[in-house]
Amino acid sequence: MAALSEEVLLVVKRVRQRKQDGTLYLMAERIAWGPEGKDRFTVSHLYADIRCQKISPDGKAKIQLQLVLHTGESTNLHFSNESTALKDRDAAKDLLQQLLPKFKKRANKELEEKNRMLQEDPVLFQLYKDLVVCQVISAEEFWANRLSINNVDHSLSNNKQEVGISAAFLADIRPQTDGCNGLRYNLTSDIIESIFRTYPAVKQKYGENVPHNMTEKEFWTRFFQSHYFHRDRINTGLQDIFSECAKQDEKGLKSMVFQGVKNPMVDLLSLEDKSLDEGYGSNSTAPSTSNTNKTVKENSNSAIIKRFNHHSTMVLAAGSGKKIFSVVFTADPCANLAVCLHRDAPNGQACETSSTDGNSRDSDFFQPPIKKVKIQDVIEYEDLHRENGKKTVALNLKKSDSVLSGSALCTASCAIAALSPGGVLMQALAQQAINQMVPNDVQGELKHLYTAAGELLRHFWSCFPVNTLFLEEKVVKMRSNLERFQMTKLRPFQEKVQRQYLSTNLTGHLEDMFQMAYNKFHAWQTRRMMRKT
Amino acid sequence: MKLNIEGLLVYFPYDYIYPEQYSYMLELKRTLDAKGHGVLEMPSGTGKTISLLSLIVAYQREYPLEVTKLIYCSRTVPEIEKVVEELRKLMEFYSKETGEKNNILALALSSRKNLCVHPEVSSLRFGKEVDGKCHSLTASYIRAQRHSNPSLPSCRFYEEFDAMGKQVPLPAGVYNLDDLKDFGRRKGWCPYYLARYSILHANIIVYSYHYLLDPKIADLVSKELSKKSVVVFDEAHNIDNVCIDSMSVNITRRTLDRSQANVETLQNTILKIKETDAAKLKEEYRRLVEGLKEANVARETDIYMSNPVLPDEILQEAVPGSIRTAEHFVGFMKRFLEYLKARLRIHHVVQESAPQFLKDIFEKVCIDRKPLRFCAERLRSLLRTLEIADIADFSAITLISNFATLVSTYSKGFTIIIEPFEDRTPTIANPVLHFSCMDPSIAIKPVFERFQSVIITSGTLSPLDIYPRILDFRPVTVASFTMTLARTCLCPLVVGRGNDQVAMTSKFETREDFAVIRNYGNLLLEMSAIVPDGIVAFFTSYTYMENIVASWYEQGILENVQRNKLIFIETPDAAETSMALEKYQEACENGRGAILLSVARGKVSEGIDFVHHFGRAVIMFGVPYVYTQSRILKARLEYLRDQFQIRENDFLTFDAMRHAAQCVGRAIRGKTDYGLMIFADKRYARADKRGKLPRWIQEHLTDGSLNLTIDETVQLSKHFLRQMAHSIHDISNCNVQCFCQLNLSQEDQLGLSLLTLEQLQSEDMLQKIAQIAHQA
Repeated sequence: MAALSEEVLLVVKRVRQRKQDGTLYLMAERIAWGPEGKDRFTVSHLYADIRCQKISPDGKAKIQLQLVLHTGESTNLHFSNESTALKDRDAAKDLLQQLLPKFKKRANKELEEKNRMLQEDPVLFQLYKDLVVCQVISAEEFWANRLSINNVDHSLSNNKQEVGISAAFLADIRPQTDGCNGLRYNLTSDIIESIFRTYPAVKQKYGENVPHNMTEKEFWTRFFQSHYFHRDRINTGLQDIFSECAKQDEKGLKSMVFQGVKNPMVDLLSLEDKSLDEGYGSNSTAPSTSNTNKTVKENSNSAIIKRFNHHSTMVLAAGSGKKIFSVVFTADPCANLAVCLHRDAPNGQACETSSTDGNSRDSDFFQPPIKKVKIQDVIEYEDLHRENGKKTVALNLKKSDSVLSGSALCTASCAIAALSPGGVLMQALAQQAINQMVPNDVQGELKHLYTAAGELLRHFWSCFPVNTLFLEEKVVKMRSNLERFQMTKLRPFQEKVQRQYLSTNLTGHLEDMFQMAYNKFHAWQTRRMMRKT
Repeated sequence: MKLNIEGLLVYFPYDYIYPEQYSYMLELKRTLDAKGHGVLEMPSGTGKTISLLSLIVAYQREYPLEVTKLIYCSRTVPEIEKVVEELRKLMEFYSKETGEKNNILALALSSRKNLCVHPEVSSLRFGKEVDGKCHSLTASYIRAQRHSNPSLPSCRFYEEFDAMGKQVPLPAGVYNLDDLKDFGRRKGWCPYYLARYSILHANIIVYSYHYLLDPKIADLVSKELSKKSVVVFDEAHNIDNVCIDSMSVNITRRTLDRSQANVETLQNTILKIKETDAAKLKEEYRRLVEGLKEANVARETDIYMSNPVLPDEILQEAVPGSIRTAEHFVGFMKRFLEYLKARLRIHHVVQESAPQFLKDIFEKVCIDRKPLRFCAERLRSLLRTLEIADIADFSAITLISNFATLVSTYSKGFTIIIEPFEDRTPTIANPVLHFSCMDPSIAIKPVFERFQSVIITSGTLSPLDIYPRILDFRPVTVASFTMTLARTCLCPLVVGRGNDQVAMTSKFETREDFAVIRNYGNLLLEMSAIVPDGIVAFFTSYTYMENIVASWYEQGILENVQRNKLIFIETPDAAETSMALEKYQEACENGRGAILLSVARGKVSEGIDFVHHFGRAVIMFGVPYVYTQSRILKARLEYLRDQFQIRENDFLTFDAMRHAAQCVGRAIRGKTDYGLMIFADKRYARADKRGKLPRWIQEHLTDGSLNLTIDETVQLSKHFLRQMAHSIHDISNCNVQCFCQLNLSQEDQLGLSLLTLEQLQSEDMLQKIAQIAHQA
């Protein structure tokens, strides 16, 4: 039964598996095979599970594809459509070839990640050894909530900090004459990176043309020759591959302008309350906007100004990491569709109206608060107010004092203190005493026991309140895990300690904690039984 | 705090007060007491608005019969909203202090575009479209037609308002534009008409200049406002241009073509009406015979403010017979249009006065002066009678009729210039008839005559004596206030030379000079390396900026500047510039720093503030003289010389300096702000230029900061910035401590910039404050 939402990339009919005819499906995440006439899959493998694929030699009569899984199992697929068997197989093979590396990388990454974490954190490693290697809990359970937490901050810390873009990166490409009537431009990978980030249109062109149509060198040569690079040149030649970039830039700029500004204080359009009617005013003869009576020089001047504005905007956007409208257009393949639509629509009318709607709704919802805040900002004279910042700070302190001395917090913190090892409840084992009485290796072992038990208990307590079937199962399992831990780890340790020393109190607290958990479990179970009967 | 301003109890919604605010209120009170007009200059960021509001509201409460209304005019929509918010703060303070609910009604009024709540109409983008659409839904005869044909579209907000909204006045409170919209939505009333209706009984109105100065709008909106009002023009440094713009008319071939089409529509409509409803036209004729008696009575009994487009003589007479019937009038207009067309068919520039024009028109097509004068009124009556829905379509013919009335009414103060082509493009025929007003006092005269006190105020009004002269009024108080500073937070520098000793100037002869451009570039480059966050640079004109930017690009200067900061440039397109501005602020905000290249007299220089890190330095490249070759300007200069004895050069310098001051003033928006003001032109060092800067800038312009080289400028700037970079909190804390000391009657220099109530009551301090105001 195929989930409807899954995207099917390829369907191959008449594929035999275990001498049964059927259909092979390649989906976004998995490969599946279902026998003819039934609408469910008897074979289904996630791509991530597949180690590799093997194909039968070309000359062989049976045209087959074998999938080898990480577990060592394998599945043979026999393409039996006589006329197109080879083609079918190759199609499936090629697609798999593309898909597998992606998933492999992901799988590997996860493994690497786990490995790294274990290596970096000895406590975790010990825990892993205690719990997983001794099969108290399964590896998945162990990693279940670790990886997800760590993934986030890890990705933050691991990604190297984004470097901003110098506004003058184009200036850094100083052309040098090479002595024989030519120019040399020096490009570094940083500059290329800057160009790509600032001008996604160029990146797109690069992706389209290099290396299919031209070499990298050729590409950049053309780039430096284009009017696109020389901002004062007006676009004339159509054969230039960058003329499209310029057009795209212009479109992006236009759409940004059309969107308008969010801050009403800088919106020059709505500044004037009442413009003079047409024909009034001392110099209201609108400057003739037709390009015909503009000289080439003027045109190129205004082009420079436009491009400077555009350049700065893009640098700013690229630096802040925030994708602005036009960037989204070109950088995102899905959004490209929108561009096409835009082009196809008769002079862009359809798209524009829709975006105005969005815009006006936007402004209706969001503008008043922004406006209010900005205006309040402007009319505030901070120095005319009596300084009362200090007062509030003092007040805060007082308050927090009283809270701290308040009973609620006190009892809570007392309880914590008492329950933690070395606390009031554990007085018998004052730290000093342990240090002196117990040899280091036992201390270390105890520490490990504590962390492992803590981890297990954490798993256990996190199941409460038990409100799903899954949690129910887990809590039962965790309880048995606890018991097993107590049997396999705690008991031997206790015995060892007993053998060496007289004090058995060393693990008393641990036992207490376990007992607490058992009590809880018991209570929960009886309640459940009551409800059932 | 509560203040005692010469016996008047003023609630001031802050704990401290700047001395200049106190002084400002003092002068303001004297102006109101004398029931006269005033010109007051106080730097931006010293709390001008709140001082004005506090004092006038207090005055209104104390003498409710003397001052019934405050009309606060500002320039831009954000400014208007700012004023209302400050007012709200004041009102909250009042109710907190007195414990009683306020019964003051204050509201902002703006165009339909900013107030409409009708879902379809308000979604239109341009003000004109909104107006036109609104009119097509709410015009009186359209609503009349709806009685017979209910399927016609209507605006339910207007209908609701018309049915219910006028019975109960708007409850007391402070209404900003958004509040009005909310209120309108809640009640289902049209906020625009509600606001327009409510300004008649509101205590405080905040709206833009045009509602008072543009006769076309003032006649609709403001003519019934009470005589006992105080009018405030804030940011009034450009008020003369607003006046002139509202009275000037330009006629192109396109206007004439469209008028022609209008006339034809009128003719057809008249024919149609004649067949169906001849009585209507007869009724109109009767009304016209009776003349505009009603308006005349109203004006004589002083209910209405006068309208410069509707001269007194017209009111006393009936519409002349020759244009009384609709067909005759249309024929008359046709003849007038033909004449104008003929005048536009010329090949050389013509300049003439209004009487010359009238003489010519009489000789050529026998059109008399008298019927011309009635044109505007006659057309309005006709449009009303013909029940034309979309007035916007008839803007062309309305423009022509207004021109006819103006040209025949005013023999002085206007000039007619017909240019067959633009100066830059002599090959392309584009004839324009400029009917330009040269006398700003014509438009503002009704305001001065009608209202008992008119206050003209701004951060930059220097030299103060010129405004009363060009606006032709007699103020009772003229004063300029400086900014008292605990630390010198502004640093004006005049850069006159490059490091190569070549003079830096935007003088016409040398402005294209390679060395000048390079030196300007070097200045920008050097500053971009030492100034944190934002730098704003202003050029004298857009074309000049374009040229300079192009040559800076060629010389690679801009690329070097880019190493330090991002560059954003103003373009003629407002939407593009808005975006550039937003990005500029973003770049300042995120620490990258940016440079905004902009133009004096442009939209940015007039309406956008660069507070704190958005503008740590302003560079004024050159002296922003107006384009002096324009014939209109020449005519105006001549007129100023003949009428007001203002020398051409004086006016030009005054105009340039007020724009320069506007530009550099953009960066300092308060006492906690700081910024460099760099005047990059050696001419600023001259006494005649320097002397025309506002006093609060001049004070800090020492001889040591004149005619510097770039290197010296960099040194001084570095020093200044380093000084300023000490945490502002250190200084303000230090300030506060000083107050504490001062409270113990210790005098300290620092105590000058902020005062407590106790200090205000001390004799010494009052004497000191008196020195702050600089009586012109």
